Amino acid sequence: MNQPHKSKRARITCALIVCALITCTMVYTFGQDKMVIDPCRFIDRPAVIHPDYSGTVIPPNIAPLNFLVKESGSHYCVKMYSKRGRAIELLSRSAKTVIPEDRWHELLNANRGEQLNVDVFVKAEDGRWNRFSTITNRIADEDIDGLLVYRKIHPVHSAWGRMGIYQRNLNRFGESLVLDNGYFEGGCLNCHSFCANHPDKILIGIRSSKYGSSALLVDNGTARKIGTKFGYTSWHPSGRVAAYSVNKVTQFFHSARREVRDVMDLDSLLAYYLVDSETVETAPEISKKDRLETYPTWSPDGRYLYFCSAPKWWTGSNIVPAGYDQIRYDLVRISYDLDRNQWGKLETVIAAQDAGLSILLPRISPDGRWLLFCMCNYGCFPVHQQSSDLYMIDLEAARQTGRYEHRRLRINSDQSESWHCWSGNSRWIAFSSKRQSGVFTRIYLSYVEQGGKVYKPVLLPQKDPTYYDSCLWTYSVPELIREPVQVTKEKLGRVVRGSRSVSVGMPVTMATPKPGTQPGRGEPWLGERE
Amino acid sequence: MLVTYTRYTYHFVTTTAFLAALLFLCLYLRAARLLISSLGRLLVFLVLSVVLYYVAAGAYLLLVTLCAIYELLFRRQWLLCLVYLLLAGAVPYVEGVLGFGASIVNAFTDLLPLSWKILSFEGRRRLITIIYVLYLFVPVAMLVSGLWRRVQNQRILVRLASRLRKSKLNAVPPVVKWIAESVVLFGAAFAAVLFSYDAGQKTLFAVQYYACRRMWPQVLQAARRHTGSSFVINAVNRALYHTGRLGYDMFSWPQHPDVLLLTGEDRILACWHKFDTQIDLGLVNMAEKNLTECMEVYGAHPMILKRLALINMVKGNYGSARVYLGALRQTLFGADWAEDYLSRLRSDPNLSADDRIQHLRAVRMEKDYATIFFSREKMLCELLEKNSQNRMAFEYLTAWYMLTRQLEELVENIRRVSDFDYPELPGLYEEAVLIYVYGTKKPVYLVGYQATGEARRRIEHFSEVFNKRMRNKAAAFDELAKDYGDSYFFYHIYGFSGVKK
Repeated sequence: MNQPHKSKRARITCALIVCALITCTMVYTFGQDKMVIDPCRFIDRPAVIHPDYSGTVIPPNIAPLNFLVKESGSHYCVKMYSKRGRAIELLSRSAKTVIPEDRWHELLNANRGEQLNVDVFVKAEDGRWNRFSTITNRIADEDIDGLLVYRKIHPVHSAWGRMGIYQRNLNRFGESLVLDNGYFEGGCLNCHSFCANHPDKILIGIRSSKYGSSALLVDNGTARKIGTKFGYTSWHPSGRVAAYSVNKVTQFFHSARREVRDVMDLDSLLAYYLVDSETVETAPEISKKDRLETYPTWSPDGRYLYFCSAPKWWTGSNIVPAGYDQIRYDLVRISYDLDRNQWGKLETVIAAQDAGLSILLPRISPDGRWLLFCMCNYGCFPVHQQSSDLYMIDLEAARQTGRYEHRRLRINSDQSESWHCWSGNSRWIAFSSKRQSGVFTRIYLSYVEQGGKVYKPVLLPQKDPTYYDSCLWTYSVPELIREPVQVTKEKLGRVVRGSRSVSVGMPVTMATPKPGTQPGRGEPWLGERE
Repeated sequence: MLVTYTRYTYHFVTTTAFLAALLFLCLYLRAARLLISSLGRLLVFLVLSVVLYYVAAGAYLLLVTLCAIYELLFRRQWLLCLVYLLLAGAVPYVEGVLGFGASIVNAFTDLLPLSWKILSFEGRRRLITIIYVLYLFVPVAMLVSGLWRRVQNQRILVRLASRLRKSKLNAVPPVVKWIAESVVLFGAAFAAVLFSYDAGQKTLFAVQYYACRRMWPQVLQAARRHTGSSFVINAVNRALYHTGRLGYDMFSWPQHPDVLLLTGEDRILACWHKFDTQIDLGLVNMAEKNLTECMEVYGAHPMILKRLALINMVKGNYGSARVYLGALRQTLFGADWAEDYLSRLRSDPNLSADDRIQHLRAVRMEKDYATIFFSREKMLCELLEKNSQNRMAFEYLTAWYMLTRQLEELVENIRRVSDFDYPELPGLYEEAVLIYVYGTKKPVYLVGYQATGEARRRIEHFSEVFNKRMRNKAAAFDELAKDYGDSYFFYHIYGFSGVKK
C-alpha cells in the first residue's frame, strides 16, 4: 500500500525541483533587465565603440547601427533616445549591442532631423557601473536610397575565383545575390551601372573564358547580351544611350609598396551604345589615339559627358612604360545632342597639371550641383592608390564664376577612397574606403548637406558588429538604387550562357581595338582588374 | 577509392559525397526490405532525397540512379522508377535553385566530379577519370547484377543453373567460399595499392608538411626518397640554408637555376612552402601577392591566412593583419596562433618584442619598383643592399651565381662573406672561386679567408681526370661523378648535380 504513495511523493518532489529550477532560470534571465544602474561613476569621455558610429549624421531609414563596446566590464547597458518616442534600453553581459530593428526604425522615424543620443554604461571589475559621456549623432531628414548594389571579391582576383554582385536592403540586413560567376562557370563580372538610381536599366560587364566577353543589358525586365566588352559605363539620363570605356589593362606589382597591386591602362577610348538601334559608335574627340579616355559620366541633364583623359606617349605594347607613375588624368567634358547624336567640343574642367594629381571617377549628383571625384598621385586606378582621396566641385558656382574650384573632402582617410556614387536625392554618397585595414575595401555612407558639407562617414552596418573584423571580402563599386533589382540571377545566368547576343563591332581604327574586333580577350591576368 | 588515396590526389569532396550517397542507398535498401508498399518506399525515398541533397548536393543523382535501378530490376516497379527519375530533376531544382539560390548548373553538379568547380582547375583534374569510374562502378555493378538475375530466371538458364548447383563447385563449404572471396577481394585491394602507389607525390606532401613547419632535418630526410620535383629541391635548399649547409651540400642534390627561388609566376599556386622562402628572404610583397592568389583559388585555408597575417604584421598593416587573424581565429587549427597574436597586438601594438617579426622587418625589401615579372638576381641584390646582414639573401644570391655559372659576379659578391660569421669559406664557394682563379688567372681577395690545400688538390685532380679523357664530358662522366658528383666542379662542367655514386 505504501508503494504508490511513495512514488506519488517522489513525482511531486521532482516536479517541485523542476519548477524551482525553471523559476530560478527565469529570474536570472529576465531579472537582468531590472538591474539597477545607480549609483555610477561618470567617465568624462565617450565609450569607445566599434564601428565608430559617433558624431555623424545617419540616414533615417538605415538598418540598426549595431556596435561593440570596447570597454572592459562584466555587464553592458546601452540607452538610445531622442526627442520623441520610446528610448531603447539594452542590457547584456556581452559587449555586442544588437538593436531590435523595429524599435530602432520607430525611434529614427519619429525623430528625423533630431539628435540621437547613446548612453553607454559598463559594469567595472569592482562591481560599480561606469557611465560614459553621451555619444551623439544626428538623424537626417532625408532618406538614403533603399538599396545598395556592390561587388564582393577577394583582395586579389587574377584567378577569377568566387565573386558576385549583391544587393543590400539598407533598411535591414538582408543581402541577396544579383549575379555571381558561378552562373557562368567562373569568370569575372564587374562595373554594374544603373540609369538614374533605378534598376530598370542595368549594364553589367562579363568576362568568361567559356562564354566570352560581353555586357549584360537589362531593360525593363528583359535581359540581353551585347557581344562586346564594356568597361566603365554611364547611362545617359534618357536611358537611350550608354557611354562606356574600352580599356587595355595591365596589372603589375610593387616590390615594396604597402599596396602590392597596381593597374594601368596601356590604351583606352570611349564609345557609346545606342539602345534603340543596338549599335556602338564613337567620336574622334572621345577616342583620340594619343590620349587615354576613361571613366565617362553624364551630367544629369544629359547635355554633357564628363570623363578623364591622359596623354599616351608610348606605342602599343604589353610592357608597363617607363614613367608610368607620371601618368595623370585631366578631367574634361564634351557636349552632346541626343536628338542629333552629335558631339560638341572638348573642354578641360581641371587639368592634372594644375591639380598636380590624377583626376579620376567623376560622378555628378542627380540635382546637378556637385561633382564628386577622386584624385591620387598617378594612374587610373584609385582603389590601388593609397593617396586617393575624394574631392568635390560646386558646379553651380562654376556656372556663375566660370571657374571650377575643387576642394578635398574632410571625410578622407590616409588610405584609399574611391568608387563613390550618389543617392537619388543627392543627399547621400556611398564610397569604398580602405581606412579600416589598408587591404580590404568597405563601404561607407556620408551625408551631404545642401551647402555641400559632407559629414563623417558611417560604415555600412552589419547585424554582427564584428562582422568586418574577419571578413575577407572586399566591397567595391557601391551603387545606390531606389528599388530592388527584379530580374533573377537565373535569368541573367541563362542570358550569359546563351548563344544569342546583340552583335556590335567597334567602328574605329585605333591603337587598341581593330575595327570589328572585341578587345580584351586573352589572359585574364592582363585583361582584368577590380 | 584506394587508388585515389594511394595516388595522393585530393578528391575528398567528391569521394565523401559518393560515400554519403552509398550510405543513403543502404538506408533505403534497409527500409525497402521492410516496406512492401510502393507508397511507403516513395515516402522514405523523398525524405532521404531531401536530406541527402542538403548533405551531398549533386551526388544525390547517384542515389536516384541506384534506387531507380533497384526498383526497376529488383522490384520490377517501373512506375516507381519513373517517379524517382522525375525526382532527380525536381529535388535539385526545388532545394538547390529555389531553396539555396544556386544556379541550375551548380544545383545539379555541385560535389560531382563533373562540376566546373573541379574541372576548371588543373590540380583538381588529376585522376578525375578514377573518380568517374568510382561513380559509375556501383550503378554498373547493380545494373549487371539486376540483369543477371533477370536472365537467370529465363528457362534455359534455369536449367543450366540447376546443373551448376549439382556440380562439384557447389559442394564447397561456405567458410572456404567466404575465405576465397575475401582473399580475392583483399588481393585486388592490395594489387590496387601496390600498382597505384605514388611515392613521388607522397614525398612531395611530406616535404611540404615538414617545410611548412620548419622541420629542416625531416625535410632533408623525406626529400631523399624522391628528388625529381622542383618543389622538393626548393624546400631542400631552404632546409640546407637553415641548417647552415647550403654552401656545402647544395650540389649533393639535383639543382637547376629555376628551382632555387620559385616566384609564383608559373601560376602554380600549390606547395605553399615556396612562398615561405620568399618571406624568409624578405620578399614579403611577392609572398603577399602569391598568397592572396592562393586564397582566391583554395579559399581561406588556415595556412594561407596565417602567412598573410604574418606578412601584414611585418609590413605594419595591423588593420589587415587583424582581419586575417580574425578569420584564422574561426578555424579549427589556427585559432590558438591567431588568439596569441591578437593578444600580442593588444599588449604590444608594434610587435617590437616579437623576434621573428623584427627579423623579417630588418630583412624585408624597401626599395619599391614596379614589375610584371620579378627578376631573381635583382631582388636578391636589392635585399642585400638594404641589409648587408641578410645572410639568406647572400647565400641565395651566391647559389644563384653558381647555378647560372656567373663566376665574375660570384667573385664580386663573395667579398660580402666577411659580413657574416662563417668560420671558414664554405666548400662550394671555395670551389667556385678556384674555378674562376684557374680559368681567368686573376687573383681573388677572399677578405680574410683562404682557399684550403684540399680544395686545390681536388680541382687539380678533377682537371687531371677531365684532361686525361681529352676533355670529353661523356667519357669522363663516370669517373668524375663517382668522386665529384656533389661538387661545384662537376656542376660547372655538366650543368647538373646530385649524381655522386
